[in-house]
Amino acid sequence: MTVTEIEEKRAVRRIAVAFAISALAGLSLAAVYVSGGQVQAEGLLLFLALAGLGWGLAEWAAKLLPSGPEVGDYADPPRPGAEREVAEVVEEGWEESFGRRKFLFRMLGAAAGAMGLALVFPIRSLGPSPGTSLLRTAWRRGSRMVREDGQPVRAADLAVEGILTVFPEGQTDQADSQTVLIRLDPSVVRPVPGREDWTADGLIAYSKICTHAGCPVGLYRVATHDLFCPCHQSTFDVLNGAKPIAGPATRALPQLPIEVDDEGFVVAKGDFSEPVGPAFWNMPQ
Amino acid sequence: MLAGAAWLLPLLGTAHAATPSPSDVEEGRTLFENSCSSCHGVDGKGTNLGPSVVGSGAAGAHFMLSTGRMPLDDPNHQPIRKPAAFDPDQIAQISAYVASLGPGPDIPEVDLGRGDLVEGQQLYSENCAACHSSAGAGGAVGAGLEAPQLHKATPVELVEAMRIGPGTMPVFEERTISEEEADSIARYLVYLRGSGDPGGLSMGRIGPIAEGFVVWLVGVGFLILVCRRIGEKE
Repeated sequence: MTVTEIEEKRAVRRIAVAFAISALAGLSLAAVYVSGGQVQAEGLLLFLALAGLGWGLAEWAAKLLPSGPEVGDYADPPRPGAEREVAEVVEEGWEESFGRRKFLFRMLGAAAGAMGLALVFPIRSLGPSPGTSLLRTAWRRGSRMVREDGQPVRAADLAVEGILTVFPEGQTDQADSQTVLIRLDPSVVRPVPGREDWTADGLIAYSKICTHAGCPVGLYRVATHDLFCPCHQSTFDVLNGAKPIAGPATRALPQLPIEVDDEGFVVAKGDFSEPVGPAFWNMPQ
Repeated sequence: MLAGAAWLLPLLGTAHAATPSPSDVEEGRTLFENSCSSCHGVDGKGTNLGPSVVGSGAAGAHFMLSTGRMPLDDPNHQPIRKPAAFDPDQIAQISAYVASLGPGPDIPEVDLGRGDLVEGQQLYSENCAACHSSAGAGGAVGAGLEAPQLHKATPVELVEAMRIGPGTMPVFEERTISEEEADSIARYLVYLRGSGDPGGLSMGRIGPIAEGFVVWLVGVGFLILVCRRIGEKE
């Protein structure tokens, strides 16, 4: 065997090993995903699957494909049958580059197929359907407002220009129910028509979840009474039903109707005015 | 152990002046009329150029003056931290005068030793981090305004800011955040200053998104070099 042939054999072996690693990693990825998943392992396997495929293809291109333009002399005027000769050269080149590589093509197919298989399983994760869970939150008529640590909120706890993040009592793990409670000077409150009795003593409550992309709208600028979303700069006018006045959000933050009970605790009078968070395709208008 | 506690020492001596005497209030009035009244009015009730300071209390005046936010050169600019224009005695006198204008928050007593670090971290995350960033590095809050970084403020100034809600910041009164809870938040912030960066390069503690971009640039750049190398023909 010549030196070139030995090198070529080694290259073929390395490419085959790279594809084999890729195929095994692809199959393992599918297996790990189906058996419950483990993020770090999946990441490593996805890396191996892609890296093996990439390494194999790159080495194939570098070592096995003919390199560089071939320069030859044409007889002038062209000999009869010259075209045919060229066609033969091209065919031989093709045969040399690909026809002899059935083994490598099978390995490539195995690697690509294994990864394709692994990528089919995540489709299952699109289900189950959320049903009506997007339409409601944990707020109910009479739900007491509590802080994140479970401590109930009294109307007197909040100064004018103060802000608190609150949850329904016993539901502080319900992220979709997080609410900002703000105390305004009662003289500046201009309720949206139909919501005249949704505030109490200047206390007003809105969903904390941005209607654009679902970030927590936690930045309250008291000087202008704006709630500001740090993710994409959506700005909501607290005095005017939390309607968006700047940024990408198009819907107002849903308002929570509230009142103060006999013991001085702030309670909800029902669920939010609309579904909270970003719009979804079958969201009722 | 000693080294760990050393950073606490300069901050513990934050006890403020005793009850101001009537002459302090008078001195404060003179200073106020000279340096503050052009915007806030002779009686402190505000003008077109500046808001009323009636009800700001000693805490409001002490915060604005000791952090150098006031006096302000241009009333259209957001006040930022500068070296204080008055000495501590003068600040105490002006604070006493502003406190005499109407009921307002008093300069808080802060006892870092009473604060609980874990509680401080939780309260900070819930109430402060949205604007001031989880590392206290501050950040933009839109409309050209910024929440300042918190690493230069003294513990008293930190708690004063909670009580008065300076500028566009909301108010966190004692009913919302108790004195003990405020101590915990201040203690946590002081702890953050000395906590170092176990991950190495801090990149100004600019936050996970921006740091992520740096990782992408460096990491993807490296991968491109690797791809180029293995694809090279010999």
